[in-house]
Amino acid sequence: MRVVVAEDNTLLREGLVRLLAEVGFTVAASVADAAALLAEVARHRPEVAIVDIRLPPTRTDEGLRAAREIRRRHPETGILVLSQYVRASYAVELLDGGARGVGYLLKDRVSDLTEFATAVRQVGNGGSAFDPVVIDQLVGRRDRPDDPLRDLSERERAVLALMAEGRTNQAIAARLGIAERTVEKHCTAIFAKLSLPSRPDDHRRVLAVLRYLNG
Amino acid sequence: MIEPVTAGAFDLGVACLVGLSFVLAGLVGWRARPRNRVGPLLLAVGVLWVLAKLPAAVALPDGVAVVRAGAWAAMFVHLVVAFPAGRLGTVASRLVVALGYLSLTVVGTLTALWPGAGPGRGGAGVVAIVGVVVPGAAVVVHLTVRWVRSTGPRRRQLSPLLGVAVIAAALVVAVKPATIAGRDVAGLNAVLQVALTTIPLAYLAGLLRRRIDRAGVADLVVRLHRADRPVRPEIVLARTLHDPTLRIGYWVADSGRYVDTGGHPVTPPSPDEPDRAVTRIDRDGKPIAIVVHDRALLEEPDLIEAACAALGLVLENERLTAELRSRLRELAESRRHLVRAAEAERRRLERDLHDGVQQRLLSIPMALSLAEAVLPDDPERARSLLREAREAGLAVLDDVRALTQGLHPPMLTERGLAGAIRELATLSPVPLRIPDDVPAGLPAEVETTAYYVVAEALANIAKHAAADEAELRIGLRAGQLTLEVRDDGRGGADPASGSGLRGLAERVAVEGGVFQVESPPGRGTRVRATLPCG
Repeated sequence: MRVVVAEDNTLLREGLVRLLAEVGFTVAASVADAAALLAEVARHRPEVAIVDIRLPPTRTDEGLRAAREIRRRHPETGILVLSQYVRASYAVELLDGGARGVGYLLKDRVSDLTEFATAVRQVGNGGSAFDPVVIDQLVGRRDRPDDPLRDLSERERAVLALMAEGRTNQAIAARLGIAERTVEKHCTAIFAKLSLPSRPDDHRRVLAVLRYLNG
Repeated sequence: MIEPVTAGAFDLGVACLVGLSFVLAGLVGWRARPRNRVGPLLLAVGVLWVLAKLPAAVALPDGVAVVRAGAWAAMFVHLVVAFPAGRLGTVASRLVVALGYLSLTVVGTLTALWPGAGPGRGGAGVVAIVGVVVPGAAVVVHLTVRWVRSTGPRRRQLSPLLGVAVIAAALVVAVKPATIAGRDVAGLNAVLQVALTTIPLAYLAGLLRRRIDRAGVADLVVRLHRADRPVRPEIVLARTLHDPTLRIGYWVADSGRYVDTGGHPVTPPSPDEPDRAVTRIDRDGKPIAIVVHDRALLEEPDLIEAACAALGLVLENERLTAELRSRLRELAESRRHLVRAAEAERRRLERDLHDGVQQRLLSIPMALSLAEAVLPDDPERARSLLREAREAGLAVLDDVRALTQGLHPPMLTERGLAGAIRELATLSPVPLRIPDDVPAGLPAEVETTAYYVVAEALANIAKHAAADEAELRIGLRAGQLTLEVRDDGRGGADPASGSGLRGLAERVAVEGGVFQVESPPGRGTRVRATLPCG
């Protein structure tokens, strides 16, 4: 799987490139600003662009704007946004064009190589990978009467949250300490309760996550 | 019939003079203050007094004669009790006056029922004595209590007339029973007549002094125009109106309260303070000040008005000064709080950095060098040490993140006010409607303050308001940023009790802005801040 990395801190950028290579990704390019990012993505058409939110020149939200631009120009390229802080409204913005191939993680997550690799792969395959902190923020505000998730059971919500983090059924089963078959049953129930049309399972997962995060 | 018909022409002349003095004082008073009943009462006492002293043209029945002789006394009671307002304000005063009229009626009726039981002879005589002594004593007690209880300006108003009235009433109580009993008390009677005459004189003196007070106002105008150094309206007004307790509170529109020249709040007296009253001074329909003064001054509203009108511009200037001082005080206060808060914040930062970040950072190189040392002999132990180091690193990251978030909302750095507000709206448990056109490019400190106003208002809504929805309005007009967060919750928020709202008020004040909270119970809460930009 080919990736492009955009990170302005040299040390961090080199570290990321080495980590990604270590776990089997091909790093097509690594850049330090948004303009170079757009150019490299256009040139390499990678499966995933890994983008730091604060990029030069102003180090505010250039990375995020570049990410949205990439989604517009190259919808087939997955976007994984990394940040020191997690902002619920950024997640909402990223989800604006659907939840296919979108991820948003705290930079800290890079330290767990296996989990990080899973997230990158998930995004590269058109899935989503959201940081548990984002999910907490987005779901924590839910007391609203129009909440589509009102009908979900406690367990179903837990399964959905892990789905949003970009985990497979197998990983969810392991995390919750239940059988994979049980996770599948929960998934079916979730899709039914959210009235998601019968489609390939992958797509329904993305829709469920979108529903979950968008409130 | 109480005075023998054979009383000499001299006595009659004296009696007529006494009556005439009442009549004249009454007429003068009536003309000077047409709405005050003291004038008519004086007139009535004078007429009734003369009537009582004139020899009867025809023989009257005993009962009628008694009423004719005593009517002036009952009216006199009414007069002194009603002085100076002319009204009977209290229950006690009404009772005393009623007692006077009742005694007259009872004595008259009893005398009519037992004609022949004249003065000095048994039953009716005793009744007549009781009828004079009881109301007389009641008047003396009532007036004394009133005088003792009254305040400075009121005493000044009451003293001359009440003093004489008490002496007169005491004399009536002493003299009447004796005359009724038929004894000769000509000496005391003369004293009584002199004492009575002083009452209209005292009243006239009072009227005259009011004239002098008016002249005092004129004097005030002259002094103001000649003043070579600043005039303190409070002192001048207190002197002119003879009320040392007088206070002036100047209106400060921003904080919606009255303050003295030092900027300290002045509270209007509560209704349980019977001696205090308030007069509000407006100019062009806008409040300028309140004058808190003795209630007695209310009887001369035109005097206060004249004095305040004379002060005119001086009051307005003084109000501006007071407003300025009040702002300065608030500013100094909030600056003190902010300095204290900043100090506490620095201590907290130091502690957090020292106890958290520094200790954890230290543990990382320690774990790494240990891992290095044990690597050849015990790779398993080395791996666990490396994991430890990694976890310590992540924990430091968490600490630093929490610290930097506390220093400045990172969202403001990344996205400006509009983005930061959108973030707040996204996270708010109560749906918040926000406008599309949040002003951009504001000074950083204005953005930060505006951000905290919205954040704190939303936190309060989430915690206390039980609201279904909230709305943010924000706009830039004439160099001022106005923002308002309103909800449809239960209201009743008290900005003085919550530290959050108070902190906001101070923050806004330091920016030179205005902060207001309206929260009527059951009708939602509205938090409003106006911030000058640039």
